[in-house]
Amino acid sequence: MYTSTGFISWLLRRISGLALVLYLFMHLWVIGAANSGVQVFNDRLNAVQTPLFKLFEVALLAAVVYHALDGIRLLLIHYFDLTEYRKSLFWAVIILSAIITIVGGGAILVIAFTGG
Amino acid sequence: MSNNDTQRTVTVRIQRFNPDVDKKPHMQDYQVKMWPGMTILDALHEIKTHQDGSVTYRRSCRHGICGSCAMHINGRNTLACKTPIINEVKKNNTVTIGPLPYLPVIKDMVVDRTSFWEQYLRVKPWLIPPDDIPEREFRMSQEEVDALHDAEACIMCGACYSSCAVIGLNKKYLGPHALLKAFLRVLDPRDTAPGERLEIVSQADGVARCHTIFNCIDACPKGLNPTQAIETLRKLAQKRQKYEEAKAERQKHLNEPIPS
Amino acid sequence: MLTFKLQRWSAIALLVFLTIHMIFMHYVPPFHISFDVVQARLSTPTWKIIDILFLFSVLVHAMAGSYQVITDFESAFNYRKALAWASVIIVILAFVYGAKTIWAFQL
Repeated sequence: MYTSTGFISWLLRRISGLALVLYLFMHLWVIGAANSGVQVFNDRLNAVQTPLFKLFEVALLAAVVYHALDGIRLLLIHYFDLTEYRKSLFWAVIILSAIITIVGGGAILVIAFTGG
Repeated sequence: MSNNDTQRTVTVRIQRFNPDVDKKPHMQDYQVKMWPGMTILDALHEIKTHQDGSVTYRRSCRHGICGSCAMHINGRNTLACKTPIINEVKKNNTVTIGPLPYLPVIKDMVVDRTSFWEQYLRVKPWLIPPDDIPEREFRMSQEEVDALHDAEACIMCGACYSSCAVIGLNKKYLGPHALLKAFLRVLDPRDTAPGERLEIVSQADGVARCHTIFNCIDACPKGLNPTQAIETLRKLAQKRQKYEEAKAERQKHLNEPIPS
Repeated sequence: MLTFKLQRWSAIALLVFLTIHMIFMHYVPPFHISFDVVQARLSTPTWKIIDILFLFSVLVHAMAGSYQVITDFESAFNYRKALAWASVIIVILAFVYGAKTIWAFQL
């Protein structure tokens, strides 16, 4: 095994990506309740808006934010030839993801526990 | 660095594997007395000559140009002959040496490079010159030379190839070495088959399989940048026709002096 | 190369759509989603178009990504044609189902 910042970013990208694919299909199924009528939809959505699911939502936010920022990093490298800045870009992605997750996740939890 | 420091004894930990007796590789320690300017390859010679003749590794020129002695030293791929041992000694006074990762081990540090060369040949690494060869030299502008980013300096040591995580999973991927060579030929103003080469690298096992992990840049003992070469090929592969036409136009003026 | 292009273009589309989606779903009141809330939003054609395009790009991105992850393994790489068709079929089926769901809010 050959470890490096690039390897770690690749691993995180894959894990978050596959997790998001699983989430996507669960999400489609939950929203798909609308096909069975208003009552079914509201019941199913109430089930996934409990405080426990809000915690999962923060984890989801972390995956989305990391995956998106990592993607932006790859786009920047592709279009602006930034391979020389690979290490600083990697750490920038990690730090930015952490900040956005803490701020955004905190907001989700505050809204969830104070009732908005 | 004091004289004492350069002459101290270090532990060289080598991954040993003898296919005749071993089921799987194991580590073996050797004590080596350093001398000023000693390289990893010197240490291996010291062990092979004075301590254990069965230690097996490839080496040839010991000038960093033949590409034979690429090894996995302290978790990085590099050439044993151009790595001073003093730079690699860790806090526990040990240097760890193993064969190139992700490749089948034949014995000790010797790996099977068949896939490496097979992938290399797939991109047609040779130059396909125009029919009309000039009486004197081909002329290239400084910009054209700069655009190659020294890719011709590749010594085919395999350090990048065996650091690539994609190669670890899938030996059908062309690999950074072959793509760097394809890049060199595609950008070479003399080459007449850039379209064909771009076609080869845009297949499913070509440039799209690179996941921008950058291990190849960190591994290259010549300081080359295969990832940048792959990114350039990706861009060119998406406008192949245009690039082919521009290149054909350029080749009409290969015999002429470069306008300054 | 086609997978690579699909992945890249859908990624750029997602950067726009997902930002909109996240902000409007989680950070703009009302915070509790129910049928009426979604129905009110989807009554404007703009939102309908945004959601349809979002659905399509996210499915393309998800399946192109899964295809790449799976075909990175040499054993799966040999069956990449079949895997590619399977991905296309999953995208179509999921798109039809998702589009039907968006349509269900017409009621």
